[in-house]
Amino acid sequence: MIDRHGETQELLAGYVLQSLSSEDAAEADRLLTEHVPGCSECRMMLDAFQAVTGELSLDADPVRPPDPLLPRIHREMEPRGRWGARSTPGRLVAAVASVALVVGVGGLALAQHGGPSTPQVPTADVQELADYVIQHHPIQQQPLGGNAQELSAPGVQELFVYGRGVPFPGPGLVYRLWAVSRHHATHLHDFLPYPDGTVLVRLAVDPSSFDHLLVTVEPAGSQPSEPGDPAWPEAG
Amino acid sequence: MRDGDRDDLEFHRRLSEGDRGAFDELYRRYAGAAYGLAYRVTGQQILAQDVVHDAFMALWRTPEAFDPARGPFRTFFLALVHHRAVDLVRRESRLRARSERAANLEPLVGEDPADAIAEESYLGVRRKEVREALASLPSEQRQVLEMAYFGGKTQVQIAEELGIPLGTVKTRTFAAMRKLRAALEEIS
Ligand SMILES: [Zn+2]
Repeated sequence: MIDRHGETQELLAGYVLQSLSSEDAAEADRLLTEHVPGCSECRMMLDAFQAVTGELSLDADPVRPPDPLLPRIHREMEPRGRWGARSTPGRLVAAVASVALVVGVGGLALAQHGGPSTPQVPTADVQELADYVIQHHPIQQQPLGGNAQELSAPGVQELFVYGRGVPFPGPGLVYRLWAVSRHHATHLHDFLPYPDGTVLVRLAVDPSSFDHLLVTVEPAGSQPSEPGDPAWPEAG
Repeated sequence: MRDGDRDDLEFHRRLSEGDRGAFDELYRRYAGAAYGLAYRVTGQQILAQDVVHDAFMALWRTPEAFDPARGPFRTFFLALVHHRAVDLVRRESRLRARSERAANLEPLVGEDPADAIAEESYLGVRRKEVREALASLPSEQRQVLEMAYFGGKTQVQIAEELGIPLGTVKTRTFAAMRKLRAALEEIS
């Protein structure tokens, strides 16, 4: 009999260090949505390991950052840009873009990432991708409630769910992503934010198969039959 | 709870309400630790600046990502800095073929004492404890941990570099994390 908690926690140790390779990362992703939320022992271990990664930072000697850094940050602390939502909490962006588009973007080469669901796609890549799509392409935006937006561009083949500052949905709960068409909702993926609030999921989805995306909060490991409560109340 | 952590909670609460003074105070407290960490992971000052910039901007824009129920602000924020530093290193290493980053970095800007920072005493105390805990690890566990944490390497890369099975890397990492956790709890 395999020790489920031990096996899970061994993966969690690599997960908080961001050192899992794609296969293990996919397994960790699965355990994080199916097992961890409902297991107080593993949740406690996840939080403890996360704290250790914060503590470990202190082994590096402190260094005074360059003086211009704080003024630069101060200047940017004003709400700015067309993404006014950037200054507000809990935004989640589902950015949809094609592989062809991405490969053409300054060598971002997201296509080199493994697996159909790669939770550890570097944040910077997706953010840059989202910015690029917004700046250079005719995109459609649909609110997903709260500050979440669905972005879609022509020629879509892949779906990125990207968010920062996304709060944990609560003990025993996960976020669940649905593709909704007029008559039914198809379950796409369950996810949890990284302990630092980052969400990053990559899925291969045929965009013509649904009308819009929906994110709900559901009990971890539950059967995805019908969408429950939306994760974020309708904006406005 | 330590005094330093309790003060952080209050600063974070005020920051959440849009108090820039509280933001500046958290910057004063953590910019040095964050920059030192980011520099050690990325090995480049320009990248380290970006990491620290992004981490503080994220803090300002989405303060609710920190949940006090899950641990002190200190570990949340520095884990966030680490997360971003590793992100950036991985991305950089794909964008250009990078030569081996120095495992042991040169001191940042000579030995100019002006670059050393006067650190809050509670952070200095904790730093000593963390180093003590790290030193208590068996060397082979400490090695894989440092390669992952400061080197930004995946477990597969570590296994290849050390010429040991992946399973061994996982076991050592897990053991190291558990021991560190226990040691840090015991010390504090
Ligand atoms: Zn468990």
